[in-house]
Amino acid sequence: MRVLLAAAVLAASFAAAPAHATGLATCDSGPQEKWQPQEKLQKILTERGWQIRRVKIDGGCYEVYAITEKGERVEAYFHPVTLAPVPTQRR
Amino acid sequence: MPATVRIWDPYLRVVHWLLAAAVLLAWATGEGWGLWHEWLGYAALALTAARLPWGWLGPRHARFADFLHPPRHTLAYARSFLAATAPRYLGHNPLGGWMIVALLAAVAATSATGWLFTTETYWGIEWVEKLHKWCANVLLALATLHVAGVATACFRHRENLVAAMIHGRKRTPGLSDIA
Repeated sequence: MRVLLAAAVLAASFAAAPAHATGLATCDSGPQEKWQPQEKLQKILTERGWQIRRVKIDGGCYEVYAITEKGERVEAYFHPVTLAPVPTQRR
Repeated sequence: MPATVRIWDPYLRVVHWLLAAAVLLAWATGEGWGLWHEWLGYAALALTAARLPWGWLGPRHARFADFLHPPRHTLAYARSFLAATAPRYLGHNPLGGWMIVALLAAVAATSATGWLFTTETYWGIEWVEKLHKWCANVLLALATLHVAGVATACFRHRENLVAAMIHGRKRTPGLSDIA
């Protein structure tokens, strides 16, 4: 019985976790209609010399997989309203 | 006659539990714990690689030749397992033996695709991430089946196989057991 209960609690905790929220960064970014388009962010970063691999949404931020102008692999976060970089926890 | 015999050697037992821990922790760190996750993946791959030579050089019950049975034999065992008439094996039973191979292959595939994602060429590429997640899900399904199979065998043959994988000893074979 206790095992069943533990399993149920565990299953519920997985189900409750929002999809794709990694907790690396969160942006208080409001409704998506007010966000700047992804394309604009991509353009800014490309002009900086970044090679953009993918842009996802994580924790209300734009999450960018890219190779920087220095050739470094980065998973960088940007605020979707201001397009300012958001610091992440490396862990 | 002693009541127990030594079946699992220390190397095999250490690799088993470290690999189990690495896989579980890698699963738990999959979202948002990138550095930890990468190192756990490398550890899992290294442990898998460490298991392979033991499959030829290790003591009897660690060898692939000891526990990999031909399909026909494995199928016959599977039928008797479902009918709850399967004999007790001292080493891996035929289903358990193939499960070892499946688990090692799944760990290798999961680690390899995870590593691929970190290379410059495949960094951020969606299909690599999807493939990695798919491999990880297959691995988790196999690991669950593995635990379910062990639990069933524990129950059927009235022995604690988890403890046997810790101290390495199992009950001395009876007349109907397969050593």
